[in-house]
Amino acid sequence: MIRYARLLRLFFRTELQYELEYRLNLILEILQTVVVTATSVGAVLVLFSYTTVLNGWDLGAMLVLLGCFYLVQGFGELVLQPSFEKFMEHVRLGTLDFALLKPASAQFLVTLRHFQVVALAQMALGAIVVAVGLGRIPSVGAFEAIGFPIALVCGFALIYALLLALSTFAFWFVRVDNLMALYWSFMDAGRFPVDVYPGWLRVTLSSAVPIGVAVTVPAQMIAGRLDAIGLGFLVVGSATAFYLASRFWRLGLRSYTGASA
Amino acid sequence: MTEVVVDVRELRKTFQVTEREEGLAATLRSFVRRHRKDVNAVAGITFRIDAGEVVGFLGPNGAGKTTTLKMLSGLLHPSAGEASVLGYVPWRRENAYLQRMTLLMGNRTQLVWDIPAADSLRVLQEIYRIPEAEFQGTVKELTELLELEELVHKPVRNLSLGERMKVEFAAGLIHSPRVAFLDEPTIGLDVSMQVRIRRFVAEYNRRTGATILLTSHYMDDVVALCKRVIVIHRGRLLYDGPLADLAERMAPYKVITATLHDGAAASTDLDAYGTVVSREEGRVTLRVDRQVAPERTARLVNDLRERLADISVEDPPIEEVIDRVFTSEQTTVSA
Amino acid sequence: MISTYRALLVAQIQSAAQYRVQSILWMLFSVIRPVIFLAAWVAVANSQGGQIGAYDVRDFAAYYIALSLVSNLATSWNAYEFEFEVRMGRLSPKLLRPLHPIHYSVVENLVWKLTTIIPLSIVLVFIALTFDARFRTTPTHLLLFVPSVLLAGSLAFLSGWVLATLAFWTTRVHAVSTFWDRAAFIFAGQIAPLALLPGPLQAISLALPFGYILGVPAEILRGGVSVTTALELMVGQVFWVVVFYVAFQRVWRVGVRQYSAVGA
Repeated sequence: MIRYARLLRLFFRTELQYELEYRLNLILEILQTVVVTATSVGAVLVLFSYTTVLNGWDLGAMLVLLGCFYLVQGFGELVLQPSFEKFMEHVRLGTLDFALLKPASAQFLVTLRHFQVVALAQMALGAIVVAVGLGRIPSVGAFEAIGFPIALVCGFALIYALLLALSTFAFWFVRVDNLMALYWSFMDAGRFPVDVYPGWLRVTLSSAVPIGVAVTVPAQMIAGRLDAIGLGFLVVGSATAFYLASRFWRLGLRSYTGASA
Repeated sequence: MTEVVVDVRELRKTFQVTEREEGLAATLRSFVRRHRKDVNAVAGITFRIDAGEVVGFLGPNGAGKTTTLKMLSGLLHPSAGEASVLGYVPWRRENAYLQRMTLLMGNRTQLVWDIPAADSLRVLQEIYRIPEAEFQGTVKELTELLELEELVHKPVRNLSLGERMKVEFAAGLIHSPRVAFLDEPTIGLDVSMQVRIRRFVAEYNRRTGATILLTSHYMDDVVALCKRVIVIHRGRLLYDGPLADLAERMAPYKVITATLHDGAAASTDLDAYGTVVSREEGRVTLRVDRQVAPERTARLVNDLRERLADISVEDPPIEEVIDRVFTSEQTTVSA
Repeated sequence: MISTYRALLVAQIQSAAQYRVQSILWMLFSVIRPVIFLAAWVAVANSQGGQIGAYDVRDFAAYYIALSLVSNLATSWNAYEFEFEVRMGRLSPKLLRPLHPIHYSVVENLVWKLTTIIPLSIVLVFIALTFDARFRTTPTHLLLFVPSVLLAGSLAFLSGWVLATLAFWTTRVHAVSTFWDRAAFIFAGQIAPLALLPGPLQAISLALPFGYILGVPAEILRGGVSVTTALELMVGQVFWVVVFYVAFQRVWRVGVRQYSAVGA
């Protein structure tokens, strides 16, 4: 475990060094992130200029949700998107072999290998938006305060599991870019609470594509709208998703090495 | 008594290939019924390699070399047969085994494109859990042997192909493996870089005693590095033995090259001595049956006498021998 | 010119056939965002007794369906590709041909729209049924919609090219276009119908080109504005098309000179 943490730090530091070399690029990208986040907050403010509550979410809770959206999306862009893109490239070019030859978990080496450091800015902005939203909520209890990071980590795990499962198809079909692109555009729907969507869309978002859950539930947690049972469901559910996705990945790997043939 | 490092018995790999015709209708049909064909990439091969040997693994494209190397490095499960490398079954992919072997592929890179190799080496140090002192020692030795110096500090994308291959070697050998599988390590490199890589492999083998199995399309690599070769063709083993004996076994003829003083080689009739292969200015090249080569040579020297400036009797060039092996269907010969 | 276009069209249709799956997927992506905001506005309207300004739930549905259709018909994407070509030095061979690169782009976009319009319509009908959309469109509106969406398309296309042409001077077009896209996100009618943008935002959106690209033709299509207002708004569209046409001509001429001077 400690070894993997050290590796993770090493992967991150290497990428950080590289990105720091292109300072102007970094600054421009951070600026873009600021603009994107600010305009999204603007959109929420426009909606709330006509109402004080949206499906039971007031402005404070809504900002918390938007912040969570950027936290989860930022996490996806920080490590998952770059790593999974590289993974598909490895399958296409045959360089995946090198990861399989290493005396360490191939799943770890492949799926958490590459970082896009600038996404940290996105996560930081998300955290700020959460904080601003919390400022409008009367009080946050101890249960909520402890539950929030747990729920957030579960959200990350859910997104990870989904991406892992989707990208596993690369072992059989090689080109799954479209599938991944579909995923990223569905991600956009996480900016509103999942219950504003009509039936069929909500089902897609929260079951097949657990983005709604990954964003909405942490926000519900900190806004005091989730009880211990709900949190328990989330923990069990994301652990199960993580386990199943890893099993599926291993199945794909077995087929790749011809072990199952 | 030397230790057997690689022990392969009746190794076999069959791929199922789906055949599909062009067009939408055919694609739809193939969803319902797939035309599958079995392709025997490796059709049962057996060999052993002792510790410290450098063995050349030869065969034309599609002979099954890379498939065999992939099975020996644990990337592919065989369809049948057994193999043990350093006492491990490769495709169980135990960490202890992966820690002791390496696979280098000349046409693929494991280095991260945008960052200097030094950073990738650090990552590898952590993955292989190499103690700092040992890591520094290995880096120093590889830097010296490969003349790496500044190369490891430049982003990989800024390196030339040859430079990248050197760095690739450093990355592949950073954990001091006991067995190295090299798949076309000199492919695409210019001649002087090929020579340097060759020199490195030989020196590395001498210093560390690592066992090396190498495939290459460049016979010069094989001649320079391997005393022993294993030849496979269409997944079957054709020859396994000393490189020196390969010509004798596979090509039952010698090549006599005679240079004539008066430049009259073009007109002199030499068909009586053997098959004339080429005729330039003052030089004639003859192909002669191995058994009668001494006698024909003696007759040639005797008949031509003072017109003869120079004469040599050699085995045919190794490329020619190999080519002969692959174009003619021969049965397995084992030394 | 017509025969050139016919040849380009035929070639493009053939190559588009290979990207069927991709184009349908991209079409689906373009519908996701309008649906998201539609759902949000429906929630807002329901919390206010079903009515926000002149819009009720069914009007919102009609507006966002119209918006999806307009965004599919009017927006174009080849500008990014152009920027990539300039950066990679792949533009030179295209400049050698006797046809302005913009024509290839026109054809590619036309074909893309042709191949996606039918699946898009199916999706939009499905959404219309889910949200029970109500269109107030009269035949006059439909008649006005045709020139309006053509103007919007030209505006989006030309402004996209002006942005892309900046690639002649800077390698950071990506940043510029992000800012442009985000401005469009706020002002073009994506987050709210133009009429519902709070005071200053609405004024800005009609003073800048953004509103004329999506919001204006969408309102005309759903019959949300009177014929007089529609005509006034279309004058605005014409104005911006002219501005960007002139700008594109100038920027392109200077840019190509600069590009060939550098000899990339």
